[in-house]
Amino acid sequence: MVRIIKEGKFGFREAFALLTIMEITKIFYTSPHVIIKELGTAAWYATLISCLTSLLFFGLVYLLLKRFPGNDLYQVFEAATGPKLGKILILIFGVYFLYYAGVNMGEFTIILKVYSKRLTPTEILTVAFLFVLIAQAYVGLEGIARTAYVFFFFIMGGLLLIILLAIPAYELDYLKPWLGYGLDKTILIGILRSSAYDEIIVLAIIINSIHGLKNFKKVGITCLIFTGLTFSICLACILAAFQYTVASEHLSGMFQLSRIIYYSRFFQRVEAIFLFIWVFASLITVSLAFYMALSSYCRAFKINNHRPLLLPFAFLAFTVASWPDNVAEVLEIHVKLIRQYSFLILYFLPLLVLAWSLITGKKGGKASGENQNAKLENAGQGN
Amino acid sequence: MAKTKMQNLKMPVKEIKVLAYVLLLVFLALFLAGCYDAKEIDQEVYALVIGVDKGVNNAIRITFQVPTYKDGGQGGMGGGGGDGDNGTETGELDGTVVATVEAPSLIEAINILNATSNRMISLSHAKMLVFSEEYAREGVGRYIEPLARFREVRELMRVVVCRGKAEDFIKENKPVISQNIAKDIELSYLQSQNTGYFRDVFFTEFYIDLLSPYGQPTAIYAGVNEFDQMLDSEPGLSAPPKTYLDIKPGLIPRKGGNKKDLFGTAVFDGDRMVGSLNPEETRFFLMSIGEFERSYFTLEDQNKPGYIYVLEVTAVSKPRIKARIADGVPVIDLSLELDADLASIQSRINYEKSDLIEGFEAYLESYFQKGIKNTIEKTQKEFGTDIFQFGKKIAGNFRTIQEFEEYNWLKHYPEAEINVNVKVNVRRSGYFYETHHIFSTKLE
Amino acid sequence: MKKEQSIFAKALNLITYKKTSRPETFVLPETDEKGNMSQNSNSQDKGKGGQDSKTLTQNQDKQNLSGKAGNGADEQRVTGVGLQKRRIPKKPLSPSQVKAAKAAADSEKTDEVKSDYDSNLEAIKQTFHLPENKDLIIREFKIGKKRKAFLCYLDGMADKNIINEYVLSPLLNMPGSVLPEGKSSALDLENIIETNDVKKLKSINKVTAEILKGNTALYVDGLDYILTCESIGFEKRGVETPKSEAIVKGPQEGFSENLRTNISLLRRIIRNKDLVTEFFEIGEQSSTTVAVVYLQNILNPAILNEVRRRLQSIKTDFLLSVGMLEELIEDNPYSIVPTILTTERPDRAAANIMEGRVAIIVDGSPIALIVPVTINALMHSSEDAGLKWYYTTGLRFIRFVAFATAVLLPGFYLALTTFNHEMIPTDLLIAIAKAKENVPFPTIVEVLLMELGFELIREAGVRIPGIIGNTLGIIGALILGEAAVSANIVSPVLIIIVAATGLSNFAIPNYSLAFGVRVLRFYFILAGAFLGFYGLALAAVLLVLMLVNLKSFGIPFLSIVAPRSKKGKDIVIRWPLWLQESRPDFLNPQDRQRQPEITRQWAQEDPNKQVPAPSDSKE
Repeated sequence: MVRIIKEGKFGFREAFALLTIMEITKIFYTSPHVIIKELGTAAWYATLISCLTSLLFFGLVYLLLKRFPGNDLYQVFEAATGPKLGKILILIFGVYFLYYAGVNMGEFTIILKVYSKRLTPTEILTVAFLFVLIAQAYVGLEGIARTAYVFFFFIMGGLLLIILLAIPAYELDYLKPWLGYGLDKTILIGILRSSAYDEIIVLAIIINSIHGLKNFKKVGITCLIFTGLTFSICLACILAAFQYTVASEHLSGMFQLSRIIYYSRFFQRVEAIFLFIWVFASLITVSLAFYMALSSYCRAFKINNHRPLLLPFAFLAFTVASWPDNVAEVLEIHVKLIRQYSFLILYFLPLLVLAWSLITGKKGGKASGENQNAKLENAGQGN
Repeated sequence: MAKTKMQNLKMPVKEIKVLAYVLLLVFLALFLAGCYDAKEIDQEVYALVIGVDKGVNNAIRITFQVPTYKDGGQGGMGGGGGDGDNGTETGELDGTVVATVEAPSLIEAINILNATSNRMISLSHAKMLVFSEEYAREGVGRYIEPLARFREVRELMRVVVCRGKAEDFIKENKPVISQNIAKDIELSYLQSQNTGYFRDVFFTEFYIDLLSPYGQPTAIYAGVNEFDQMLDSEPGLSAPPKTYLDIKPGLIPRKGGNKKDLFGTAVFDGDRMVGSLNPEETRFFLMSIGEFERSYFTLEDQNKPGYIYVLEVTAVSKPRIKARIADGVPVIDLSLELDADLASIQSRINYEKSDLIEGFEAYLESYFQKGIKNTIEKTQKEFGTDIFQFGKKIAGNFRTIQEFEEYNWLKHYPEAEINVNVKVNVRRSGYFYETHHIFSTKLE
Repeated sequence: MKKEQSIFAKALNLITYKKTSRPETFVLPETDEKGNMSQNSNSQDKGKGGQDSKTLTQNQDKQNLSGKAGNGADEQRVTGVGLQKRRIPKKPLSPSQVKAAKAAADSEKTDEVKSDYDSNLEAIKQTFHLPENKDLIIREFKIGKKRKAFLCYLDGMADKNIINEYVLSPLLNMPGSVLPEGKSSALDLENIIETNDVKKLKSINKVTAEILKGNTALYVDGLDYILTCESIGFEKRGVETPKSEAIVKGPQEGFSENLRTNISLLRRIIRNKDLVTEFFEIGEQSSTTVAVVYLQNILNPAILNEVRRRLQSIKTDFLLSVGMLEELIEDNPYSIVPTILTTERPDRAAANIMEGRVAIIVDGSPIALIVPVTINALMHSSEDAGLKWYYTTGLRFIRFVAFATAVLLPGFYLALTTFNHEMIPTDLLIAIAKAKENVPFPTIVEVLLMELGFELIREAGVRIPGIIGNTLGIIGALILGEAAVSANIVSPVLIIIVAATGLSNFAIPNYSLAFGVRVLRFYFILAGAFLGFYGLALAAVLLVLMLVNLKSFGIPFLSIVAPRSKKGKDIVIRWPLWLQESRPDFLNPQDRQRQPEITRQWAQEDPNKQVPAPSDSKE
């Protein structure tokens, strides 16, 4: 009996927390640095443009899934493009998620090393991280989602606390001139950086764990809007506290924001909050991506248990994480690739599939979905 | 028996064993490796004050003040002060050690001191960064950058420019009231809120202003008071009340207590110090940037020369600043509201009464307006640097960063036309309302 | 696996994945969230659950008929217990099972009660290993001086007064004339014996079980059954105040070792016909009685079924105490925190039963197990319901703070002082450095020293007899700490840390959880010592990961947080009683409503309404 790995089910809140954390984690990294460097004072609303673009893409993916009700994105791939091509598409996604996990881990370790652990070798930091990562992936999607839900409050609470505590440092005039480096550039980069929101596609893959299409839409839209607003507020706060000049120098704007909190001679140095929420968020994000990579692989090759693959995949992720030689490579190649150009994979592939299914007129219902499952099982037995 | 029991359990025993091994290995690995960054508290010493002077043998001369871990410190209550004990050979002084080293860079200086003193010097608790005026006038940019980049340095330390050598200034940084130097330093900054005689400048603000196209940085202006301004009194000589304190730090006529004076504001153009504001100007400066909290103002009685009255002035709200560019000339309107409480009226004229109060307020308004205007003019004409950060408002007149940077506000600042409007409310008059005059045989 | 394997292959074996069979985890069937008012809500469960409860009541009725002390087993199925147990498919038999099977096979011949006096007497003697065994008393006599009879009981287990007055004396005083003639003629013993519970048993094994409970067996020559009369009466502890869960405002009764007493304590609190007690015998050698108490009209049948399933499937020889049972039925025995609530308070057990949980009581243990529970239940105390709601809420916050302190404080301190010095206020930092200047150990050693020292004092305090134990513990800690500081072995700040941690540990209301916390503390100490805050954060994620995957009888242990269920009114904040309208949602009880929307109806009534005294003499 071949059964696709059991992913469990969870509700709106868990799904929302999971995706929101995955989206929001990059605000702790170099994302603000890059976007402020490129857009200056316009960064805070450029991200809203990205958010809107992402909503648009998300709507299109929704249309695709609606054509094949009851199927998740991978099943749609196979249904719409045939099993061979579908498998390739699934593998592309899998490889991307592995790459995403690796690069995020690399970025995390770099910043951790810069800000907190200068002397500890990267390998140690990564291995400790991987250890928890494997535990999370071992437990599976449901466990990750619940953990995410528990930590969601810590992360958002901590973020809110930092933002509120830093209020005395804000100077809203630093958001002027309003148009940054020009509206055209803002819009272009804004649209490009919709990639920063494209993790939302994970929802389409785990759609069967979140009780179907209706919840998918609800979670997706609320999550995107929430993330967009959070990014916008965070960027505005960083800008208001540091100007576009200094903000574009900092590796991690949010960390710097937490460092300048000062109320009295006792109430200062609250970076600890930041350190915690940052590790929490990174762990959940990377483990979700890591798990998605695993599950993609399992789906593509009809493997019903992902656990034997944990160690090999962890090794691969470790390899990806230690791929770049220096900060510049991480920031200028890998992170940029993920935050700026990943929509070519995550959004455009589903859109191509949508277009293809529109052209060929392929449509799937619940019944076909079951057929698909039956086919899968047959294929599995064949194996 | 055991076998069946194991079958009932969730995990087979083999897997547990493997897991245990893996766990053990990971923990062992972490334990062996994880201590890379581990440092005991007493392995390090924490520089509370960093001083930067021009070097003789090398580019810069760095002075650190670190607290010692000896019990009880040294001096106890340094009541009289001024005993001139500027440290023994170890540089030890009142529970702290002051060490100076010449080096090509600040971080190198730490390195050298680490090698020669026996513990690691950590900057993570630095509270004060002192530049000597001489050094500041040549430009601090080159040595500020590593401080902002270096992880250990706290953004929350204050930036001080001192008259004379930073080394000497730090040597006078002794906790007089208690042995707790860290508390002493932190509390001394708090006096900015009470007096307004200097601006509490965080390193992070200084650094932001340094890079800012919106304005220019300032720093706390300080000096060492050698207690030599107290001239011996001569019989028959009486000084009139001097209400305008145009005094540089270190020259305050006083005696006793701590020798360091935080008094006034050092004005920078970019990374170079170009001048200073005296304490009075600093208060007007603080008022117009919205950082003024409260202070006592002593003014000469306009109706009775030789007599003074004292006001406790508090800021009601942040100043409202509007900026526009009219015909190529930047115009800035600054309006602000102050509350004043009467603390003392030597002349016993009842300014608090309704018939006098309006005129009194108008007089005060013109006084503050003039003060602020003069201060701004001084920065425009004498220094040409916008420490008031009016650029933040001007920036609203530009659409893009390119336009704004091209315009270069900092260059256009001296041309700006600045209108100041102050509103003063005299609210309360202390315990008294209407005073009685003094009876004596010489009734006027 | 072959015998000959290279080391390499063995090593490879360790890290490669091997397929293992895992028991399917029990998950409470989901029910419709909307229909929470009536029993009809769980349409899925209804078929199964309804049936369950029906059979259950039947069982119960039968049981009530057949006797008080009987177990749930049917009278009709006279096959021995051993025989039933032998029917386990596939799995190899354990030694004990083999033994039991053998014994059963042996006794199969003799199990049947013969209608012959001597062989029955011999059978009983053999069963109880007479004459070596001096406990079994056999009294032989003649009824009406005609018919031979014997009764036997275990000395010390039976009440001799009962036997003398209500069993022996009616039989001995019966005039011979009343006796029917004929050796094997029926005798209406039930109407002669004056004890309130008698059973006719045809199996020696069952008779043995009855005797072991303390009942008296009576055999009259010629009959084909043995009559057992209730005569249980052994020494037992009375009902005393609970030791570990003392409270001020509330009942002062605690469970005792006697199962019957314990159940009566529960029944006295819940006077409800739907309160059902089921008995299970666990332990092949000890045959310990385990009672399952629940409210039949409230408990979700699926939970009941799971409890039954787990209890019935336990195969062990001996069940000493409730702790052993706890370990045997826990969802995840490796979990650091307990997933079963233990209480020695009948009122607390009753309150939980009222909410739709199950109480499991083991004969011989003055403690009840409550399942299923969620993490918040471990932080509640039975006084919580009796105090004003905001006092309780405040106390609970203190308990949560205590929990956090007990778990995290030493690890946090360690992380701060060995890695993240910049986060300590400067004054404090210098003070710590000064105090530490003459201490030769690194902080981790100091912390471990003091923590281990504290654990030592606690453990020793338990062993030291009587009142001295407690006193010595406190004094020992004080003196040890003081001495350690003045000897420059630890820094004074650390004493505060360890003392605060220890104190917090005692503020945790649940005994098992307090143990878990002690383990967790060391876990966080290690994490903090290795990687500072980073390590703490990683460790925290692992801990939460473990917690969210825990289940207590199918209920996610963190149900109050994730997965999200309808928010109750008594989780962290105890809302006023009149707002607590529903039972916990995650238990899916049959009847969710515990009280109408308006509880304090008087608040809506006319304040001047005249109310007569509630009396029976209503006309």
